[in-house]
Amino acid sequence: MTDSEPTRLPTTAELTIATPEGVVFRLPLAGPAARLYAVLLDTAIVLAAVNGLGSLVYFIFAKAPGFGIMVITLAEFAIGFAYAALLEGFWNGQTIGKRLFHLRVIDQAGFPLRVEQAWVRNLMRVFDALPFAYLAGGISVLSSPLMQRFGDRVAGTLVVRETPLAAPAEESWTRQKYNSFMDYPAIAMRLRRAATPELGSLIQDALRRRNELTPYARREIYRELTTYLQNEIAPFPDELVEMLSDEQYLFNAAGVLFGDQRLSRL
Amino acid sequence: MILDLQRFQAQAGPRWSKLEMLLAALEGRPDRRLNPVEAEQLQDLYAQTSSDLNRVTHGALAPDLRQYLERLVARAYAELYYAPPMRSEIWQPRSWLRIFTAFPEAFRRQSRYFALATLITVLGCALGGLAVRYDTAAVEVLLPANYLRNPGQRVNEETKGQNRHPGTAQVEAAFSAELITHNIQVALLAAALGVTFGIGTALLLFENGVLLGAVAARYTQQGFGLFVTAWLLPHGAFEIPSILIAGQAGFYLARLLLRRREDRDMRRAMREWLLLIAGLALMLVWAGMMEAFFSQHHAPVLPYGFKVAVGAAELVLLTVYLLLIGRRERAAEAQVSVAAERK
Repeated sequence: MTDSEPTRLPTTAELTIATPEGVVFRLPLAGPAARLYAVLLDTAIVLAAVNGLGSLVYFIFAKAPGFGIMVITLAEFAIGFAYAALLEGFWNGQTIGKRLFHLRVIDQAGFPLRVEQAWVRNLMRVFDALPFAYLAGGISVLSSPLMQRFGDRVAGTLVVRETPLAAPAEESWTRQKYNSFMDYPAIAMRLRRAATPELGSLIQDALRRRNELTPYARREIYRELTTYLQNEIAPFPDELVEMLSDEQYLFNAAGVLFGDQRLSRL
Repeated sequence: MILDLQRFQAQAGPRWSKLEMLLAALEGRPDRRLNPVEAEQLQDLYAQTSSDLNRVTHGALAPDLRQYLERLVARAYAELYYAPPMRSEIWQPRSWLRIFTAFPEAFRRQSRYFALATLITVLGCALGGLAVRYDTAAVEVLLPANYLRNPGQRVNEETKGQNRHPGTAQVEAAFSAELITHNIQVALLAAALGVTFGIGTALLLFENGVLLGAVAARYTQQGFGLFVTAWLLPHGAFEIPSILIAGQAGFYLARLLLRRREDRDMRRAMREWLLLIAGLALMLVWAGMMEAFFSQHHAPVLPYGFKVAVGAAELVLLTVYLLLIGRRERAAEAQVSVAAERK
């Protein structure tokens, strides 16, 4: 067994929920940057809407500009507050900005947002925006384990990241015809037992990003990983390792870790 | 690592995609209601996928797959355990109209926070009034604007109509919108400042009170008591109580946050807070219109006595509305809730 419940610190903040059935799942929380982008986009949308409305009103009230200003001022104010509250309330926790940046507001128990929660968290913006540029809200987000601004704390909501996910496809290293590490079943077994999930995903990521890394970075990263595996986890015989490039070494290691799990060849 | 991931994924994959399709269909539905067949199907798929997740978490090294399954289980969990509100009700005008009775009910339920807000404002008023009365230096500090410091000049201008423009109704309309949005914003801030455990709310109310007291004292001192009453009362009759209600909402929020987490009924509390805000916003709309269209007209157009009478009538109506409209909590119910709060 390699994976017991989190002994590591999560790399990003997450909400952990244990269901009544004893299933534990985690939801990744949205950081302040993504949320700021979403807010900026939403602000732009609101401004555009208000301006569009403004020119329409100006046209309608051409003879009575005072009343035009009244309509615009009130509409601007109402739209500013109602835009996010209504959209989040009826569109399952998303505004247009949040949808584009793959964010969603949810109840902190993992449920969809309720209408009154949407209103409370958006009315509380007047406080979160203090003294300028969402400083109070930003400090609250950074100091809260659930990344909540004050409005979220009061409404009992939080913002999660929802990057679309598909069931992972098969990777090339799971389909190796021949893997020289399999000739040393005892050592391969040791590697499989000792590797933590983090180490496993590190190797997987290193191989997947092969083409994104510069040659120098790739060489250094692969060498470090190989040295670590070879010295600390599972030393394969020198005569085998000498024949392999670092990349091939990692490829083989990934094959051992993620390949055919039936141990038929071991 | 126990699992044969390839075989596992090949076997379980179809039910994952089935669950994904079902979820997509449900999430697209505005009322999120399930029919019995779907509910059963969702329950089954949720249970199976949860157990798949458990197996992947504890028996395999597959971070991507685990993340995918976690997301799937999270969505199914939300659909299965979430009791959707009657969303269709929200679109019925009758439920919107209920706000007119629900607001005074909420006001009465939380009246002790209103009393606290009033007390702080009155203290501020007293301080402002006394300072202006007995300390000439305080006038400069407390009343920075010239028109507040020298009432005589202002009264002259106002009564002569120097501040009026041609097309007055137009200007007044724009002015009323300005007032309404500004006042609602300030009130909302007072209510939101409850998150500072009420300290911010108290400071804001106190400052407001000091200014009010200082202006009233200054004008009265110089013999313009009737003028200032006629000037402020027609809109103040709604504006000042609504700021007090904002303070009430702020203190209510503060008290809620000071409670232990398990003692909070957040759902009810949020509705209560929102009701107070919605009510005071409506009051401020009225106050803004009165301030722009009515308060700014002075004698001889509108006699001061008439203006004061209108203001007083408003105040009486508002009091009657806040104290009598809506369902009254029966004594027994009230006692139960008091007992629960004391626990």
